[in-house]
Amino acid sequence: METTKEALVKTCAELKQEGYDYLNAITAVDYTDHLEAVYILYNTEKKSESVITVMLPINDLELSTISNMYAGAVWYEREMQEMFGIKITGANQERLLLEEWNGADYPLRKEFIWGKDYKKKT
Amino acid sequence: MSYMRINIGPIHPSTHGVLRLVVDLDGDTVKNVEPHIGFLHRGVEKLMETRMYMQNPSYTEKLDYVAPMGWDELYVNSVEMALNSKVKEDAQYARMILLEFQRIASHLLWLGTFCNDVGQMFTMFMWAFRERAKVLKLLEDVSGSRMFYVNMRIGGLMRQLPQDFIARAYALTDYLESHIKEYPDVLDANGIFIERTKGIGKLSKEDAINWGVSGPVLRASGIEKDVRKDNPYYFYGKTKFNIPTSMQGDAYARYRVRYLEMLESISIIRQALGMMPENPDVAGLPIKLIGPQAKPDIIINRRELPRGEGLIYMVPDKQKPYRIYLRSPTYTNLQVLPYISKEVKLADLFSILGSLDIVMAEIDK
Repeated sequence: METTKEALVKTCAELKQEGYDYLNAITAVDYTDHLEAVYILYNTEKKSESVITVMLPINDLELSTISNMYAGAVWYEREMQEMFGIKITGANQERLLLEEWNGADYPLRKEFIWGKDYKKKT
Repeated sequence: MSYMRINIGPIHPSTHGVLRLVVDLDGDTVKNVEPHIGFLHRGVEKLMETRMYMQNPSYTEKLDYVAPMGWDELYVNSVEMALNSKVKEDAQYARMILLEFQRIASHLLWLGTFCNDVGQMFTMFMWAFRERAKVLKLLEDVSGSRMFYVNMRIGGLMRQLPQDFIARAYALTDYLESHIKEYPDVLDANGIFIERTKGIGKLSKEDAINWGVSGPVLRASGIEKDVRKDNPYYFYGKTKFNIPTSMQGDAYARYRVRYLEMLESISIIRQALGMMPENPDVAGLPIKLIGPQAKPDIIINRRELPRGEGLIYMVPDKQKPYRIYLRSPTYTNLQVLPYISKEVKLADLFSILGSLDIVMAEIDK
């Protein structure tokens, strides 16, 4: 299911009402011209999954947090923020999850060349 | 009021890997815990994007070094889905048997180290490792390696099973059953063990779902969620087994669930051995770097790993993954630690951490 970043929180709230009460994972994919955030939810009653994708243009990487609905979302969102540079608004993100990382490069983006672009935290 | 702040780890025997805990203490009561991770981050997802499909199993194996075969099989099966290739029927039975043996080995290692954490010193550790060594010996004879097997191939296993495999596997299940059933006699009659686990680290049913924990931690909170039952793969749909659960949600319940799971695994192995033909043909394709081209459809594949639910989200390219996401179960299970460790004694913090059964290599990726 595709949704927009404005409608993401509403979509998740609706799905949670329908019984998709378990958050499996949050991740993102870099398609070079745009990024796509992926939310995988699971219905523990019906044993079915629901995949939500959000298209994000490269110059507007921002998403609202869903951690007030799914408490487990916090670390996934922090991981996404550090690995892809997608800014998460509304969540407590004061500390880097991976502390040794410099926090300015986004290693899972395709423009990041492994072994060449690594800079140590100063 | 100000609290005393202490650092535990990253090098500490009870953190089971390079985990650093920053703990705020009032006397010896824990007021706040903050797990700091990332000391073992090696960028596995990025590395896997740069390699051909069948070069990657050696990375997925090192995610969970206590039960490498689980991740290995999950990854290779995801590639099989991308290439649209079928797994031989005999090999499906063989994979089930090996995966369940791996689950037993993993739970045994957990039980041994957990008992050390809570002060049931070394008796259980030696017993559990005695049994685990026998399981590893069988897996070694199947794959040629004691710990990192890399024996999954497209369509089957690396090579045929040893000739006496079925008889040996049956004998091993008998041995395991008789010995594992002795464990509660030692643990349930042990005051130290009971006191250090019962009522410690309680996680309610609602919170367990909300935090998204999985595996034995989730089932110990009373939720019957097991991928083998809910979305069966291979012949799990044809085998009869129960999902052990408990309503308590504490460290003792997690021990109890894992203990019963080992017995269920033994039952699954026996059923699969019974269904497997006498001279199974399990060999898959040899490794070829350039193989058939993958379909471009996105793959979502899930498995019940010993520590919880593993999930792969893969965007395939022709000869290598364009993007691969690995959902490691212990990543979410560790996240719940600060929540369930409020107002416990410092010593109980390690009972809780041990009961979550974390593996840092899988958390950091």
